[in-house]
Amino acid sequence: MNESRPETRSEYRGNLSGGSRALAENGHRTSGWQLLSTTLGPLLALCIVWLVFAFLDWTRPLGGTFAEVRSFQLIVVHTAAVAVPALGMTIIIIAGGIDLSVGAAMALAATVGAYGFLNGYPPAVAIGMCIATGLAAGVANGALISSLRVVPFIVTLGTMMVFQGVGRFLAGDTPIRPPRESFAVLDEFQAPFPTPAWQMFSPGVWVMLLLGILVSITLRYAVFGRHVFALGSNEATARLCGINVPLTRVAVYALGGLFAGIAGVYQFAALGEGNPMDGIGKELPIIAAVVVGGGSLSGGRGSVLGTLSGAAIMAVINHGCTTLNVGDMYQDILIGAIIIAAVALDQYRQRRMADK
Amino acid sequence: MFKNRSLTFLAMSVLGVAIGTAIAGCGSSRDDGKRRIAVIPKGTTHDFWKSVKAGAEKAGEEFGVNIIWTGTADEQDKEKQVQLVDSLAGTVDGICLAPIDRTSLVRPVERAKKIGVPTVIFDSGLEDSEITVSYVATDNRKGGEMAGEYMAKLLGGKGSVVMLRYAAGSESTEQREAGFLAAIAKYPDIKILADDQRAGSNAQVALQKSSSMLQANRGRIDGVFTVCEPNNKGMLQALEDEKLAGEIMFVGFDSDPRFVDALREKKMHGIVLQDPFHMGYMAVKTMVEHLDGKEVEKVITTGEYLATPENMDEPRMKELLAPPKAE
Repeated sequence: MNESRPETRSEYRGNLSGGSRALAENGHRTSGWQLLSTTLGPLLALCIVWLVFAFLDWTRPLGGTFAEVRSFQLIVVHTAAVAVPALGMTIIIIAGGIDLSVGAAMALAATVGAYGFLNGYPPAVAIGMCIATGLAAGVANGALISSLRVVPFIVTLGTMMVFQGVGRFLAGDTPIRPPRESFAVLDEFQAPFPTPAWQMFSPGVWVMLLLGILVSITLRYAVFGRHVFALGSNEATARLCGINVPLTRVAVYALGGLFAGIAGVYQFAALGEGNPMDGIGKELPIIAAVVVGGGSLSGGRGSVLGTLSGAAIMAVINHGCTTLNVGDMYQDILIGAIIIAAVALDQYRQRRMADK
Repeated sequence: MFKNRSLTFLAMSVLGVAIGTAIAGCGSSRDDGKRRIAVIPKGTTHDFWKSVKAGAEKAGEEFGVNIIWTGTADEQDKEKQVQLVDSLAGTVDGICLAPIDRTSLVRPVERAKKIGVPTVIFDSGLEDSEITVSYVATDNRKGGEMAGEYMAKLLGGKGSVVMLRYAAGSESTEQREAGFLAAIAKYPDIKILADDQRAGSNAQVALQKSSSMLQANRGRIDGVFTVCEPNNKGMLQALEDEKLAGEIMFVGFDSDPRFVDALREKKMHGIVLQDPFHMGYMAVKTMVEHLDGKEVEKVITTGEYLATPENMDEPRMKELLAPPKAE
């Protein structure tokens, strides 16, 4: 569709990341090598960060534990907890939106799931309830944003508190703790060291990779994916192109909610209980993962590989600092600095392209 | 252009790495073949934990073990604490843990046990005591009961009281709340006006909740009970703001220099004290004994005390009111 509209060309300038190949071709000329470098930037940063920690740990007396398989298994499990909701957030951010309610939606979903297990529903039903709750939360966000025409930041700020309150109401203001036997299927879902050992990673990690591939394909090849990029690049132009903007937006937030629901399963599996308060503050690392991975809060850019790398960078720093016995506060400082550096780099990159 | 960009990126990465190196350089512990025991508090910022740390460090010196003190800043981020236990388990000989949540921390403790790393639980309980070495803590229920009995004495057996709760799911504070309510229940003429507000670990929230509670029950409250440090702080501030400090009988749990002054000025009338220094010391000591192959008690209580304006200058009380703190 975009190919037939040369007048929109300038709007798409610089859309290089992730799935925006078609748009990029429409804009200014880019070599495959350039595309690769922007997409692989976060992955490269991840490797560097990992190597640095591995090196520092190796120089430590009695060190070397950071480079063990065990550490690797831990890092990917910690990554999955942030990366899964961040996949949904990637779609939302590419579409030019933001979802502050994601942590609350996750915790609400986990609470509903825990309620299902507590009441002895079959595991599939309880998990379904959990995911459906996230989806419903996402649809609510999308519908409110589209119908009220209030900016997503405000709407989701409001729903964040609503979801948390609803969760506390449903849970009777206390964590829901189903007996462990009732959720045996999820017992190993987020266990860092799965048995049997040939699985290598927990089922949750494999599911994360599968979801990542699905989202990547959707963004890159599906018509919907093209619409998401168009919406985030320039809403007015997208509308002129005949895209149903309100509907696309609802679909985007619904997808975000779906991933929040799946993340609820992860959270429940990791903690063994559902507590609506567990979502507090969780939206920030999720948004950070997307941003560090090259997503732009002004919309139109973001990639699955970048987001996964972003989430992994934070997990590496956390585990690395713990291994090296570096205080919690330094982890915060380091992650904060990396977020700012990533965005500054991104801005710089964009300016360079605009100049050209 | 690509070259430039890539260079910038590299420069930034190197910068980040340099910062990391510098931090790690000053933070990593020297190894000297001693045993390594991780001590993980619920949070690192409150004074209580600093005293626990001082006790743990004293035991570390005494028994010749390295203490690795790591915790989350936030006393509510259980997900992070789960990750922390998992991360540390591979690098230490034993773990002393104050679980943020009695359910969620079961599985990481189980995983540590699986690779041969034992865990001593301190301060707050874990649901499954089968997988742990010992539970070193204040008898929180008894502490709550002491507060309730004392409150009843202050009120002369009749009046109305409110209680501010901590967060749901925290075993130690739930015990205190239950103990207080149970003791009060023995006095038919004492009425509980409100006990359904939770203030969590944030003094700011505690202040807001306290103010609202005082406002809602204005003129009808004779006594208040708060169950932990941040909540004491919020309630004390609210009482001062409302010019009610000293008029309403105020019993708190856990100390802080501000509360010592409040006790002296009779703005607070009683503080139930734990012995965090002893708790940190005993947790590490128990772990060392276990690692040495000795039998240890499954439950170890570290004592609970009631400080009042009358007894606060006794030496033992003075010590408990201002326990040693680690930096």
